[in-house]
Amino acid sequence: MTAQLPPGIQLEKVDDRIMTLNVGPQHPGSGHMRLIIKIDGDYIVSCDPDPGYVHRGEEKMAEYRNYIQNIPHLERPVIHDSSNILHPYCLAVEELLGIEVPERAKYIRVIASELNRCIYTLYWLAIYGIFLGHSTMFMWPAGDRELFIDLLEAMSGARVTHAYLVPGGVRNDLPANFEERCLRQVDYFEKRLKEYQAVFYKNPILISRTEGTGILSRTDAIRLGTTGSVLRASGVDFDIRKKEPYDVYENLDFETVVMKEGDSYARSYVPYLEMFESCRIIRDAIRKMPKSGSVRTKLKPNPKGGNEEVYKRVESGRGALGYYIVSNNRPEPYRVKISVGSFRNLICMPYLLKGELLGNMPSVYWSLNYWPVEADR
Amino acid sequence: MSTAGGIIRALNSGVKHLAIRRFTLRYPEQKLKFVGDGFQFNPETGVGIAGLRGRHILYHEHCTGCQLCSVACEGIAEAIGMVKVNETWKQNKKAIMPQIDYGKCVFCGLCVDACPFYALYMTNDYELSSFTKSALIYTPAQLAIKPKISQDVEIKIDDRGATHG
Repeated sequence: MTAQLPPGIQLEKVDDRIMTLNVGPQHPGSGHMRLIIKIDGDYIVSCDPDPGYVHRGEEKMAEYRNYIQNIPHLERPVIHDSSNILHPYCLAVEELLGIEVPERAKYIRVIASELNRCIYTLYWLAIYGIFLGHSTMFMWPAGDRELFIDLLEAMSGARVTHAYLVPGGVRNDLPANFEERCLRQVDYFEKRLKEYQAVFYKNPILISRTEGTGILSRTDAIRLGTTGSVLRASGVDFDIRKKEPYDVYENLDFETVVMKEGDSYARSYVPYLEMFESCRIIRDAIRKMPKSGSVRTKLKPNPKGGNEEVYKRVESGRGALGYYIVSNNRPEPYRVKISVGSFRNLICMPYLLKGELLGNMPSVYWSLNYWPVEADR
Repeated sequence: MSTAGGIIRALNSGVKHLAIRRFTLRYPEQKLKFVGDGFQFNPETGVGIAGLRGRHILYHEHCTGCQLCSVACEGIAEAIGMVKVNETWKQNKKAIMPQIDYGKCVFCGLCVDACPFYALYMTNDYELSSFTKSALIYTPAQLAIKPKISQDVEIKIDDRGATHG
């Protein structure tokens, strides 16, 4: 049957062997995005990621609000990592407005960012577990996440979307006995984290599903411009906390986690090992933090930036997260560009999935530490 | 490590948890205890006081109707509107006070930061659900009421694991 098609509409040619499969944009297995996968039998011939379903225009919205009013909406792209997404914004605005940050506030910011990094990584690990059909690994991290949410709730007053970091420091000082409570819960969490080894990372079923799948070589990782845990899992020793230390990271004692394999297993193991480093940073920061002092520099109402432009970046849970802000003598920024790690890592998808089994798609996809909402902004 | 050995070890580490008390908070019966009486702000030092950012509390005797909270909320949630009240206060000549729409509020607390007269704080009350949208709009009279709360459960950590009370 050859019905007359309206002008401008074409029928897609259907191949005998190759089948096109849309993974997403409905939620299961893809997040808020679509993967257009062409398969030959069980093998993937090509993959074309199609993001943009949750674009909210955060960058345009930022042009109509002043530097303080921008805080609540800028943390919405990654509500699980809201301190880390505000950290570079605060650093950039501080440079733009010429604000000095008190020493104690810098330490508190680092603690908030590291707690948030753990919350994000646990949430990611929970979804990684359920993607691979391991429901225990969904329950455990989702439950243990509560320990850190509890700490951040005491600190900032909100479970997620803390709006805690502001240009000039933090919103409020730590509550009484926070240090003690924080150390107790972090110690317990580390003990729990070690239990994940036997049930998940040393589990032969997980190893057989992830080891050797989606290998990203060191040269490819650099050439494609990946960041964060994906880059470190391919054997590149690059962590912005070490290479371009911001706030007080240069005074703190921690290591960069690097693995050489570059497969799905290494990409899922690096964030796990980084949680131990985060615990180490939190402990060290609490020890070195000044016991009292101001935590926030008072700002003028409606502060104005000069005729300048600033770029600042930090290491978030998903890699480098940078803000490029241009100001033109007005209380609102002229342009805000958010550069996120998720979007940088998405580019690997067509390269990693070529020639893989369709069944390996979830483990490769989620090992990239990709957060669709952040990538779309 | 043999495959069978690995699987047995994985199962074993899960089975051990049958003997451990659950970590889950049984919410309506148990409620988490928070730090302090809610988020507050000291305009003199410009620093807040740690606490949960829940429903607001409005002190009518301090409110001057300056609209700074409403201005702060513009561009964030636009949840605060100024309304006329049938009260006469010396400091509030215009007799206007904030009314908050909790269908819009994002609980960022920047209105509390904006208040220079110690009039607007936040409380530990977070149970605000209602059957109608209009019931989410809290008038100045409703905002003045101190919430009744019984929150007493904390995370307890011992050798056998962590529990909520």
